[in-house]
Parts: sequence; C-alpha cells; structure tokens
Amino acid sequence: MAEFINSFLFPDQPDHWIGVLITALIHVVMIINVIAVGALVFIWMERKVSGRIQDRLGPTRVGGKFGWLQTLADGLKLVAKEDITPGQADSFLFKLAPYLSFTASFCAFIALPFASGYSWSSGWAAREVNTGVFFVLAVLGLEVFGVILAGYASGSKWSLFGGMREAAQVVSYEVPLGLCVIIPVMLAGSMNLVTIGDMQEGLFTNWFLFHDPFTFCVFWVYFTCAMASVNRAPFDLAEAESELVAGFHTEYSGLRWSIFFMAEYGSMFLVSALAAILFFGGWNGPFPVFATLASALGWEAWPTTGLLGYVAGLAGVANILFKGVVGVTVMIWVRWTLPRLRIDQVITMCWKYCVPIAAVCFAGALFWQYNNIWFLNSLHPARSRAEVRENWSVNELQLLTPSALHEVGESDMAKGIENEAGGQI
Amino acid sequence: MNWHTLLFYLFALMSCGFAIAVVASSNVVRMAFFLIVSLASTAGLFFLAGAHFVGAMQIMIYVGGTLVLLIFGVMLTAHAAFVSMVTKSSDWVLAAVFGGALLGLLALTAFSVEDWRVARGDQAAVTSSEGEFASSIGQALMGMRVDRLSEGNSQLEAGMSGYLLPFEIIAIHLLVVLIGAAYLARTKRRVGSVTEGVQ
Amino acid sequence: MATQIDDQRIIEFDVRTDEMLVNMGPQHPSTHGVLRLVLRTDGEIVSEVTPHLGYLHRCAEKIGENLTPRQWIPYTDRMDYLAGMNMNLGWALCVEKLLQHDLSEKAKHLRVIICEMGRIASHLVGMGAYGLDLGTFSPFLYAFRERERILDLFEEVCGARLTYSYITPGGATADLPKGWLQKCEQFLDQFQPIIAEYHALLTTNAIFIKRTCDIGVLTPEMAIDFGCTGPVLRGSGVDYDLRRDGEERYTEMYDGYAFEVICQKDGHYPKDHQYPAVPKDAVLGDCWHRFYVRMLEVIQSMDLVRQAMDRYSVASGDWGVPIKLATKLPPGDVYLETEAPRGQMGFYLVSNGGNIPWRVRARSSSFCNLSVCPEICKGVPIADIPAIVGSLDIVMGEIDR
Repeated sequence: MAEFINSFLFPDQPDHWIGVLITALIHVVMIINVIAVGALVFIWMERKVSGRIQDRLGPTRVGGKFGWLQTLADGLKLVAKEDITPGQADSFLFKLAPYLSFTASFCAFIALPFASGYSWSSGWAAREVNTGVFFVLAVLGLEVFGVILAGYASGSKWSLFGGMREAAQVVSYEVPLGLCVIIPVMLAGSMNLVTIGDMQEGLFTNWFLFHDPFTFCVFWVYFTCAMASVNRAPFDLAEAESELVAGFHTEYSGLRWSIFFMAEYGSMFLVSALAAILFFGGWNGPFPVFATLASALGWEAWPTTGLLGYVAGLAGVANILFKGVVGVTVMIWVRWTLPRLRIDQVITMCWKYCVPIAAVCFAGALFWQYNNIWFLNSLHPARSRAEVRENWSVNELQLLTPSALHEVGESDMAKGIENEAGGQI
Repeated sequence: MNWHTLLFYLFALMSCGFAIAVVASSNVVRMAFFLIVSLASTAGLFFLAGAHFVGAMQIMIYVGGTLVLLIFGVMLTAHAAFVSMVTKSSDWVLAAVFGGALLGLLALTAFSVEDWRVARGDQAAVTSSEGEFASSIGQALMGMRVDRLSEGNSQLEAGMSGYLLPFEIIAIHLLVVLIGAAYLARTKRRVGSVTEGVQ
Repeated sequence: MATQIDDQRIIEFDVRTDEMLVNMGPQHPSTHGVLRLVLRTDGEIVSEVTPHLGYLHRCAEKIGENLTPRQWIPYTDRMDYLAGMNMNLGWALCVEKLLQHDLSEKAKHLRVIICEMGRIASHLVGMGAYGLDLGTFSPFLYAFRERERILDLFEEVCGARLTYSYITPGGATADLPKGWLQKCEQFLDQFQPIIAEYHALLTTNAIFIKRTCDIGVLTPEMAIDFGCTGPVLRGSGVDYDLRRDGEERYTEMYDGYAFEVICQKDGHYPKDHQYPAVPKDAVLGDCWHRFYVRMLEVIQSMDLVRQAMDRYSVASGDWGVPIKLATKLPPGDVYLETEAPRGQMGFYLVSNGGNIPWRVRARSSSFCNLSVCPEICKGVPIADIPAIVGSLDIVMGEIDR
C-alpha cells in the first residue's frame, strides 16, 4: 500500500518514508476505531446487559431507542470533568500511566488479523507478524505497566495495593495463558495467526475447539486466564471496589480515567478475538458458505482477489467481530453474576489449577495429534490440513525441504530431516 | 529518505536517549520507566531488522517480565513514598570509566568487522526474507545449523552442530538460579523458635 | 482457608517489607456508612484493626431527655434506619412497661406482623449488601427489589418508607388498611420461591463459599464474652433468641407461635423448612454461618407473619390507642430488650414523675457486634475485612446513635 501511495507522491522512490507514514496512519486510525467504537459499544452493552441481569432497563433515553448513545454522553461528561492530579502524586508518571496502558492494548491490535484473503500470507492485519500469537501476548502483557505505574504514582495507599495486586496477578497468569495458547500453535504448526485461522477452514467441526477433548478443556482454561489477565471480575482485584475503593484508578478522574477503560475494553475484545482465532476458527464461519457457493456455481474455489475476494474477507471480518463480541458478552455476564475472589485464591487458582490443567491438556493434545485419533475434527475436513502445512513448510523450511537437501548432498542429516519433514506433512 | 533508515534513527535515538535518562534520573520508578522505553525501542530495532521473534522475546522477557518484577520489588521494599537515589560523584567517575571502556571495546569490535563497514545494497530483501521466521531459531536450538546447511559439511550433523548443548546448559543453569532464588527468598525460622514460642 | 499468621516472628525473618497504616473509611464503599477502620497491614495481611466511631453521632439519647416518649419515637427510627419498625417496638414496649400498659390481642398480633416484615426487609438489605462486599452486585438489586415491595406495604400502613414512627407506646398510630392482609399474603407467596435465587447466587455459590467459609471465626465463648447478639451470636451456635428467652412483656407477643430459634444445634439447623446444605468447609461461627442464619431467619419471619395474619384476622380488640403526649410517667426506671434484626436492642428509661424522661439510654446490638472486629480481623488478608465487617451487618446509625 505504501508503494501505491508513493507512486503518486514519489514515483521514483517506492519506499519513501512519507508513503509509509501515511499507510501507517491509515492503519492506526482504523485500529483506534476498532478500540474506541468497540469501547463505546461494549460499555453500552455492559450497562444494558447488567441492567437486564438485574431486572432493570439500563440506559433508555440518550440517542433515541435503547440509549445507544449513552456512552458518548458519558464520554462527553468525562471530557468536561476536571483533570485532577493529587498533590502527593508523581505527576509525570501519574499523567503518563493511562496512555501507557492504552498504548499496550493498542499495539497488540497491530498483529491481530481480522480476516484472511484466502491466501495464506495476506491476512487482514495492520501488520502481519510471523510470530503473531507471541507478539500479541507479549505486548498485551505490557498493559500491566500502566496499571502498576498508576498505582505507584498516585501516591495513595489504595492505589499502591491495586498496583501490587495487578503486578502479581498478571505476571502469574501469563504463564497458564502462554501454555494454553501453545496448544493451537502446536496443532497449526505455526505462530502466525493467519495460518492458525486458515487451518480451521470448513465446517465448524474443524475448529480447534473440537480437535480433541483436551483442546475443548483448554479453551475454558484459556478463557479464565484471559479474564484474569485483562482484569475482569471475578478477577478484578486491582480495582476491587469493596476492598480497595477503586484500586489503581482511585485518584484518576475525567479523561485519564476513561482511557484506562478504553484500554480495558480494548484488551477484553482482543483476548476474545484471540480466542476466536485460536479455538473458534477465527474468520471462518460455522458453515463454509463461500466454498459451497463456489462449488454450486461450478467454480474451483472462491476467488481470493478482486471484489469477490473482498466480499469473502468482509464476511470473515463480520464473523470474527461477532465471535469477539460474544466473548465480551460472556465476560460481562460473568462479571454481573459472580462474587470476587480473594487475591491468594486467584494466585492459587493460577498456579495450582490453571497451570497443571493446561500442561496436562498440552500433553493430551500432543498425544491425540501424534496418534491421529478420531474426534469431531476429522468429521468433515473441508480443506486438507496438509495443504496449509505444506505452505508452512515450503515457506519457512525452504532450506530444509527434502529436495533442497538432496541437492546439498547425501548426508545422514538430510535423511533425518526428510523423515522429520515427511512426518510433519 | 528511506522509511527504514528513518525508523532506525528514531528507534536508535530513543534507545540511547532513554538509556541516558535512566542514568540521569534519580527516581527509581522513573528509571524503570525510562528503561522500559529504552528496551522497547531495542525491540523496535529487532522488528525493523525483521527479527520478529527476537523482538517479541525482548518485549516479553525484558520489558514485560524483568521490569515488572523490578518495579514490584521497588514497591514492596520502598521505605519512603517515592524512592530517589543520589549518585555520588565518585560513582559517576567509576561508571564513566567502566562504561566508556566497554563502549570503546564494543565500537572497536564492531568497526573491525569488514562486512559491516559498507551498507548492504539489498536492505529490503534482508528485512523481508531473512530472519522473519521463527522456525529457523527453533531448529537451531534443536541442533541444526540452518545458516550453514548449504555448505554440505558432514561435521554439521544433527544434534552435534547447533546450539542444543549451550541451550540445555543455560536452561539447567536458569533452573538452578530460579530454585536458588526461591530458596533465598523463602521464609526462614530461627533454630529453636518453636520452643521459644511455647515458653 | 484463613491466611493466619500463627507465629508473628516468621514475618520478621521473611523478606523485609514495610508495615503500612491504612485508613479504611470513613468514606469507603464497604464500611457500611461512616465507620473508620485503621488497618495496620504488612503487604496484604492485616495485623491490627482499630475501629473508630462517632462520625454519625446525633445525640439521640440526650434529645430523648427533652421530649415526651411519643415525640422521641422518630428518633428511634433513625437509629437502625434499616429496621425502623423494630426500633419503634423496643421503645414502645419500654414505655409501656413503665406505664404498666397492656395491649389487646389484636394489637399484639399487628405488632408481630409489622416487626417480622421489618426483619425481612432488614435482612434483605444485610444480605444484598453482603454480596456487594464480596464483589457481586446483582443480588443487591434483587434484594432491594423485594424490599421495595415491603416498603410499599409499610407505606400503605403509615405513609413512610424509611422512618415509620408507626408503633408507638400504647399500640400503633393506625390500624392496617383494608385489603392490606391480602396484599401481604400476595407478597409472601411471590417472595417464597425467589429465596432459592439468593441461595443460588450467594449461599451455595462456590466463590461465595470460598470467600466466607472459615473466615472470621467467632467462637461461642468469644461471642458471649463480647456481648454479641442476634444472628452474630446465633451464627456461632448459641441458642439464644429474645423472642423466646426474653422478658415476659416481650415474649407474650409470640405466645402460641410455632417457631424454632435459628442456630446450629447438635450439628444441624432446624428442619422446619427446606434449606440448602451446610458446605463442608464451613466452621461454626464463620462469616458463612452468620449469613446463613440471616437467610434462614427470613424464611422463619415469613412463617411468623403468616401465623400472625391468621391470628390478627380473628383476634378481638383494637390496634391500641397511642398514649397522650401529656401522660405522666410514674417515677422509677425500666429496662427492656427486644430482638431487633441485628440483635438485642435495649432501651433504658428513668423517670422522675414528669411527662419527659429524666434519662434515656439505648443499648445497641451493632455496637457490641462490632467490638469483636479487632479480635477476629487479626492476621487476615485485606479482602477479608469487608467480608467480616459485612457479615456482622452493622448499621452505623445504631452504633453512634
């Protein structure tokens, strides 16, 4: 895209920085829209869902029906509020903390693909990162920094408690979260989110959730850990209202306070979308509509480029957004139903339950995959796994494909690799 | 200007500038924050070089893991509300001498490598193809010299030539350190404290 | 699973951390009003709790020495503002005792209906707010939904929704309006099946059990030593309820009523209704038992209201006539305790023969219940402080008066 823009501005320099900057800005605006509009919708949803759960109506007036502009009104109110920095606070860090939190949440979206263009290297992501899963988790882990700094810099004891709890909790939960994520990565043989999503094409039985009983279990572990790592009830200990007043954001007001919430809702959607890609087929719907349509029309496959390719891509975006929103709704539902756990119970749950369960599931999934045991996944493999894997091995193991090695010469190592690569394919 | 060059300067400046800020600041938590930015910029350099895996690793381990623990430690052990550290001038001199020596050594080494003196012509090709995939790293750790396979050297046999042994040694070493740290930080009882309690 | 530190010296040799003094309150979401707790914390562990009172002191007792007994009734409303009717009753009975004034059967049954309804309303708030203390919001609103209906009924009776001033020395200010009993019956019929919801959301919820079982254990001896009463005392397994064990003048109200005191006897609770089972983690006297006793008392009170309504509709006499403002109080002193929702509510009255008492004194249950707080909050994590204070179900208006 940068080349396209530069072809107008600097025809002789296809990689001029201005074109790249404009491209980047377009991506940034789109991602910020996902987060900001997402937060707008999710906060409204939170109020509506909690209202219904509690026998209330929730907002009804602002914006005509259903009060759907309530969040905007709230946002205006927050912008208009006084921006207070406590006298005791370390004002530089205090002012910076919410932005840091938001930046982390935002950066993780860079690598999140929203659809695949049906060809493996063109996921609809701001920047397709080869180690996408790892990148998203690593950057998401940075969100805790904003919270810790907020807790520390506020100069309030309650905030300090909140910050310390957050640090302990998030650092702990990164371990089981990583373990859970490794399982789909192992099944797909790639850390690339686009590849992982594409591997689950076809009927919904192809989703990794239904790969074997262990992946089915591990999804719930993942979801629990994800809730804990984005600080949602019943794991919202950093802001535990009844204990720590408001935890790390006790001293915040107005816009800065709302930026924390933008970050929180952003990461909520992020982990839900990640769950959708890792376990629920990502942009692939429960039924392969476009493939069926293509075969009905007598085509070999649905086109990956042009207008029709975009139509399929947009349908994929709708799919993943829907799945992400469902995940967020479940989080909201859980929040308004369950009491909060205690900090030691949260940590106990992480180390004594989530980590071992995830580890056992990892071993189980490995066993299942290695022995190729039948499960729902094998019901209706619309697109052969090997095809996607082949892409993987061709692109990443260029040097190691048997043919390449044969050229190199007959060595023991080449044989070993041949066997290995054959096993993988 | 090339976007690649521009971003390189940006990240390099941020990395060095905030590293200096770490030294210049006296507030421990601010230092930690500057260190975050500095290390994150280094991760940016890795990404720029196409080493996504290493970049993400940098963020996960140094920025995400180590620094969170650092701040956590500061917060837990702080005696005053905001810890500030005043560096003595003798420390400054000592640090300058050692730091300068290290920097000189590194610079000298870097400039002595022949290949590095001239810029590569095919920058775009490097960033888009070479280190972009994590699999090679994994395979190197499993005992294959992926970078030297084309040499066809029979000495580069599987399991004998890669980084498997150093990797395993480091892993065991880290485990030992981890257990040692846990042991050191553990609750200690004075001998006979139980009987004292009874009395 | 209480995180108690048995040996204080262990901390000493652990990683050096600093102790911190934290003010919980007077403006804190879970101190139930303007209670201020000063916590000495070491990390998450609280080593010492000191409650500070007096932020809601309104000199109610002194005012009582300048008003006639009937004029003081509104002040009793504002003591335990969640159970105004029961406060009215305590004072009314105390004055009647001094005046040796006896009531008709009908008035007594009327008082039982109203007071037990008041008990339900009060326990609903206690239950809902306890959920809030543990971080769940929805049961709070469910509880308030039902409480609203009780308040509607009370509004029909006396025109007020919070500060009723309905039960007065000599009887009540008015009879129950026509059709009220049917409405009350309707409410009870609708409310009875809903209680299962509260049990599902709180009593038997796994996280709730984890948060409350074996937390803040109050042994029966300790409860008696500290003068705890009401559900706090019964939650520790002490079989004591003034409705059965109180003074004749009070217990005669409940003569002939079938009810069992809610407390764990010989390892089980009364079997008069279907109750959810006690979880195996629960220890007698912990937060869970205190909560459970309140939940069971709601069912018990509903039963009592039903019995009272049957008796009221066939009883003879009238609802009683309030005493005149100018009624001279015979010289002497009286003390009478009643079983308010939060425990024993005692009023003491000294008269020197005029129509205005010479001395008025109230003994509130929340005050004594709160006094155990520094004892049972030692060595618990911060998160358990709201859980323990909430399970004591204190009302600051009653403590400070």
